[in-house]
Amino acid sequence: MLEIKDLHAGFEETEILKGISLSINKGETHAIMGPNGSGKSTLAKILSGHPAYEVFSGEVVFEGKNLLELSAEDRSLAGVFMGFQYPVEIPGVNNAEFLRMAYNARLVNEGKDEVDPLDFDDILQEKMNLLGMENKYKERNCNDGFSGGEKKKNEILQMAILKPALSVLDETDSGLDIDALRVVANGVNKLNNEDNALILITHYQRLLDYIKPDFVHVLSHGKIIKSGGKELAHELEAQGYDWLTTTN
Amino acid sequence: MSSTIAESSNGAESVVLDLHKKFIETSQSGPDILALNRKALDQFAKLKFPHRKHEMYTFVNTKDITGAPFSLKTKSSSPQEFVKQHVYAGCEHSHLTLVNGILCSELSDATALGTAVMVGSLTDAVKDEPIKTALQESIEQENDVFASINSAFMTQGIMIRVGKDKQIEAPLQILNISTGGESGPVMTVPRIYVHLEPLSELKIIVKYVGEEGNYFVNSVQDMVVEENASLTHIQVQADSTDAWHFSKNRVHLKRDSCYRGYQATNGARLVRHHNEAWLSEPGAGLELSGVSVLVDDEQSHQFIRVHHEVEHCTSQQRFKNIINHRARASFDGTVVVNKGAQLTNSDQLINNLMLSDEGHADCKPNLMIFADDVKCAHGATVGQLDEGQLFYLRTRGLSEAVAKEILTQSFASSIIQEIPFAPVIEELNQTLLKKLKAN
Repeated sequence: MLEIKDLHAGFEETEILKGISLSINKGETHAIMGPNGSGKSTLAKILSGHPAYEVFSGEVVFEGKNLLELSAEDRSLAGVFMGFQYPVEIPGVNNAEFLRMAYNARLVNEGKDEVDPLDFDDILQEKMNLLGMENKYKERNCNDGFSGGEKKKNEILQMAILKPALSVLDETDSGLDIDALRVVANGVNKLNNEDNALILITHYQRLLDYIKPDFVHVLSHGKIIKSGGKELAHELEAQGYDWLTTTN
Repeated sequence: MSSTIAESSNGAESVVLDLHKKFIETSQSGPDILALNRKALDQFAKLKFPHRKHEMYTFVNTKDITGAPFSLKTKSSSPQEFVKQHVYAGCEHSHLTLVNGILCSELSDATALGTAVMVGSLTDAVKDEPIKTALQESIEQENDVFASINSAFMTQGIMIRVGKDKQIEAPLQILNISTGGESGPVMTVPRIYVHLEPLSELKIIVKYVGEEGNYFVNSVQDMVVEENASLTHIQVQADSTDAWHFSKNRVHLKRDSCYRGYQATNGARLVRHHNEAWLSEPGAGLELSGVSVLVDDEQSHQFIRVHHEVEHCTSQQRFKNIINHRARASFDGTVVVNKGAQLTNSDQLINNLMLSDEGHADCKPNLMIFADDVKCAHGATVGQLDEGQLFYLRTRGLSEAVAKEILTQSFASSIIQEIPFAPVIEELNQTLLKKLKAN
């Protein structure tokens, strides 16, 4: 599904990712861990097409398409979803209306008819029920005045509505208390299936207690220094990143 | 007398003086109105057209107007269909239509207002001695030269008076239609006098439209809100794109009265709103907000003076401008807190959203405080769309153009959504979207 080959990328002229290669197949969950400043979030931003980040060399192929050539919106329409570390507040835009616009953009891209607000409400309600979310997510403006936990839940709601083939969740666990973490993780688990894939970017092993990864990759100084199964996350939690950065 | 002034004046003012001479000769108004017309012309001659450094016109270039050979138009009818198109839902039986500033009764229907609202002309109004005195005083004290031109040429106008303790449920629409000039520019002088007696309530929606361009709407509205009365005043400027639109609002607020004003500017060649309010008895409250959507070379200017004359009054101003292409907007607003106006609570906020590099916004929020126990705040911002918000929307599959539309609408929504009349909200949202899409 996603093939990253020797990716060198960064911000302005500074190289942050120094040769990343990663292969992700349908139905897989990959966790990318690493200390602060290792390039985890840069990788998420590169995959989502953030205009401030630059690719110097390497390839990213998503379902046969050169992802790096696509605009942020085309990446989304192609099936890549980015869960933000800091979801942006958009005052004055009703959340349900925003979700409907995003849903319709996808339908139009697939050559289908848009859904009207009434029909969309049924779709939205079904997803909200699935994720155990309250009505306030429909009524309020997009992320406006949401708490950290509410914002992250809203990201998962968007993921449920857009049904992406590949989701990249950037530090979805940061700033969440245990209960909110459980809700978010349960939501992600419900949306996971054999046909989609997930990249979880996280500092801590805690999230991986709830969402079991098939693979764990450790990123340090812009390179993957170790890959393994979910047991790798436990080792990291027990021994810290120093264990890897000093032995490698 | 006007003739002596005419002889001693030259330049741009003489065009107005000559026009006034002809106007007086042919006017069918009664002696009271004519006397007011003459008094206003004297004031006009004193004030003269503003030069570029004039305090009230710092940001407004009026040379296109002052030099133009405006004529007056007597045509006072418009196609029924055109009127229908501009009457809001809910105002079918509560609208008054002015064509070129003259009330057109066959295009008006005020049956829903009942007997609690007296609708008449200025001729009726000046029969009431206090109103006549108030009009005289306001003409003598007029500080805005264009408002004095309105008074110099006003004819019948409209007087609306709501009786004591009458709360009018039906919203009253006043539709101002300008028909433009086939041979050169035309000036129209709509004049409205609104008087709310104690404990009464009224909602007025004043809409300005044009059949075609090449006209100058120079409108004045006087509003007196007595004790515990409440006036909601929504103004929608939707003139032809090449029109000039000046409007002056004078608001007098008595004890515990309330005025809520909303001004939507959809753009024209040059729009200027001048709002002046006097909170003259304790407990009076004023809210004034506005939104302008400007493209191409359109201009919109706000000039505001709020006078807190006594203690315990509140005033709030909120304005937002959306500026694209080479458009210009300005805000010059002063809150004056008089000596003794303790416990005044006042705030003022202006936000400008620039959608182009060539647009221009000037802001001059200002406080003049002569009391020592007050809460007054003001602020102004000029900025662009937020890159982070744009990116967020794009990662949800929305194109850059759509994302910009959404964010621009969201910028305006805090003003538009507050307007207490749903048909205007809907209309403004559509107009805004249309203007954004067309560009």
